[in-house]
Amino acid sequence: MKGLILAALVLATAPLYADYTPFYLGLLTEVLVFGLFALAYDVLLGHAGVLSLGHSAFVGVAAYTTGILLARYQLALEPAILAGAVGGLLTSLLLGVLVLRKRGVYLAMLTLALSQVFYYAVLMWTTVTGGTDGLGNLPILHLSAPLGWRLSKRPITRYYVVATVIFLAMLAIRHVLGSPLGRAMRAVKGNETRAAACGYDTRRIKLAAFAISGFFSGLAGALLTVVLEFVPIENIHWQMSGTVLIMTLFGGTSTLLGPFVGAGMFIWMRDFLSKHLEYWEVFVGGAFVLIVLFLPDGIVGTLTRVLARRPPEPAGAPADQLPEPAGLVGAARPASPDGRLLESRGLRKTFGGLTAVNGVDFQVRMGELRSVIGPNGAGKTTFFNLLTGVLPPSGGRILFKGHDITGLPAHAVSRLGIARSYQVTNIFGDLTVYENVRIAAQSRVTHYRFWGRADALALVNQRAEEILHHLGLAVQRHALARELSHGEQRYLEIGIALATDPDFLLLDEPTAGMSPDETRRTAAFVRRLAGHVTIVVVEHDMEVVMGISDRITVLNYGEVLAEGTPAEIRENADVRRVYLRD
Amino acid sequence: MNGCILILVALGLSIVFGLMGIINFAHGIFYMLGAYAGWLTVQVTGSFWLALLTAPAAVGLLGILVERGVLQRIYGTKNATFAGVLVTYGLAIMIPDLVRMTFGRPGKPFAVPAALTGSLFRLGEIDVHAYRVFILGVTAVLLPLLWLLLNRTNLGLVIRAGTSDNLMVQLLGINVAQTWTITYALGAALAAFAGVITAPLVAVAPEMGGLVLIECFIVTVVGGMGTFLGVVAGGLLIGEALALTGMLYDVLADVVIYLAMALVLLVRPRGLFGQEGMSEE
Repeated sequence: MKGLILAALVLATAPLYADYTPFYLGLLTEVLVFGLFALAYDVLLGHAGVLSLGHSAFVGVAAYTTGILLARYQLALEPAILAGAVGGLLTSLLLGVLVLRKRGVYLAMLTLALSQVFYYAVLMWTTVTGGTDGLGNLPILHLSAPLGWRLSKRPITRYYVVATVIFLAMLAIRHVLGSPLGRAMRAVKGNETRAAACGYDTRRIKLAAFAISGFFSGLAGALLTVVLEFVPIENIHWQMSGTVLIMTLFGGTSTLLGPFVGAGMFIWMRDFLSKHLEYWEVFVGGAFVLIVLFLPDGIVGTLTRVLARRPPEPAGAPADQLPEPAGLVGAARPASPDGRLLESRGLRKTFGGLTAVNGVDFQVRMGELRSVIGPNGAGKTTFFNLLTGVLPPSGGRILFKGHDITGLPAHAVSRLGIARSYQVTNIFGDLTVYENVRIAAQSRVTHYRFWGRADALALVNQRAEEILHHLGLAVQRHALARELSHGEQRYLEIGIALATDPDFLLLDEPTAGMSPDETRRTAAFVRRLAGHVTIVVVEHDMEVVMGISDRITVLNYGEVLAEGTPAEIRENADVRRVYLRD
Repeated sequence: MNGCILILVALGLSIVFGLMGIINFAHGIFYMLGAYAGWLTVQVTGSFWLALLTAPAAVGLLGILVERGVLQRIYGTKNATFAGVLVTYGLAIMIPDLVRMTFGRPGKPFAVPAALTGSLFRLGEIDVHAYRVFILGVTAVLLPLLWLLLNRTNLGLVIRAGTSDNLMVQLLGINVAQTWTITYALGAALAAFAGVITAPLVAVAPEMGGLVLIECFIVTVVGGMGTFLGVVAGGLLIGEALALTGMLYDVLADVVIYLAMALVLLVRPRGLFGQEGMSEE
């Protein structure tokens, strides 16, 4: 809120410092438009963690759309600008669908190459676009706008019109970032695997981020056309993507004001350095390298980090015993008619020549607590990965509540009510403890809603509170998850899984690395949890396994060696020979 | 022919990406600097053949400096692969301007070496130039050598092992930092070599790096990132596509390669020779 008021004040008073001279006002207007572009860019980079080098296509298509509509069809300003933004949106969807088959820097490279197709299209379609000469003669001053205003020749009026549009766009972007979709984007950025395990279709979330980024980049492109009254071909060349990347990182990602500061810096360098120095790009490039190396948070990011003092965490000793998980899991839902909740038939997974899981037949009844044990390399974690859709099986079927779920992706499996924890702690380290649980709970309510505040979802908040309370993590709610102790992170690991309100919970070595005391508490907690949800747990601590399980399945070399009650397993000769080695 | 040069430049890009996970935006710069180093050698000594040695050596040294001075600062930091893209992009902006400062804006003419001027023989209607045959020959000799280096030597083994599991290689006690430096320098030297042999066909100019970089991206995407065969096939395919459309319908030449890439992406996202799951992160 403080940031917004500051932004409004700066926007309103900036012309004062510019002495109202047309040159400075023009420059200021340009800084604002590029700032909006950088902010839109940062929606993708800073908030969804996707590095794009194809934004020249979004801004360029929009600039040409608006330009062509104005020049050839004498459309009024507002619809022409809106059409430009929509052009950016559609371009980003097209590009996003293609590139999101890949990730990381590979994706970045693809965006760059694909965006150049648009450049060449403009270059070839000379009759409409003007080719290398750009698109000029835009009759902007003569066009009336339906809302009654005219874009006056006076730079000061033009400045305030643009500033108003940009302030509104900023509000809109801020709103979207605080919405359920915005939070899902952050989760995907922080830990894509876990976000998928919470039920989020991470590719679609990123596509949504592309769309938002594309729409506002398009708005910036359309405004650029109106402000310059000209569309230079450079607007759609890939170096435009490089420019917006530099601006965003100068100012700092994941901040609302950073992109504007970055745009200001870049344009200042361009205009003032180039006045005195012929080779100004040396300095822009050099400054960029230095900022990446030494100020990875950018200027605004570094300032806010230095200025913001986090309140000290109240030191709360974790509860000696985790409380009764009553009400933590919803009412039991029907399993298949024969009482089987989950079943695998002949499940197989091979990696090259290695068979990790070899024809496993496995049934879990509703309400059961099953342990899966076996020596290292027996295929336990691979088995979990097959059940949760992380890996596609090489053969066999998986049935959940009587429905075939074989080959479903992780997010779809999660939405059906299967949740898991991981052997190696897999949490959202950069998010707060509360948000870790909240984002998992939100998955049961909404994924893509881009309006309304995520923090205002009452049911989600209530569930997150309950989970934190039951895991004894309520005092640390504002701490970042990565700052927790190992034991606390293991509890959070389970909490994230529970927050999705599962019918079926897979725990992969929940006590891994815990102290004996923590192990005891966790075992007791899992046992009490079993009254409310069906659980399969992989565990190495035999005391825990024998103490809490209803039944035990022993895996060896990817096959089921034995299955039975703890007493039966203890007496089983095969198990003693292979597993207990006595 | 076009394809030969693309293969040489793209190979370096692909090896560095495979090993270090960094898309090296400075790669085009090495190609451009190689051409300038070659031009300078010819100016001073008059020998094109000497330039074939000095340019890769000088640019390889520069590669060592860049890797040691800049890239080593970001390994192991959060988002190291992103940062790698960013710093090398910064260098790609800076260095062409430095070259303009030193050598001036206009391109430098670079004559075909005397021994290789003129046409060798006629193939139907077309004169086959001796220099083009030379490029073909040099690539034909160099590629098997590189393949041997990557597949039959210790260094190659470490590079390939590092490409599939870097941490494990480090745990085996192998000096990965040194391998990375050597690999990066090797890629730079290869690009510089390609820069020198291209120079007689085009004017040596500060902008030549940017263009070849994007074409190399496309080659590696089409062929499959991190695979030797993929780069060779992708390079030939893209090089020929460029040459053919350039001959038949000039305007389309640039678009065709992008469309080829989009097609490959849709039908076979990992590239023609790419392995499943590799280098997709």
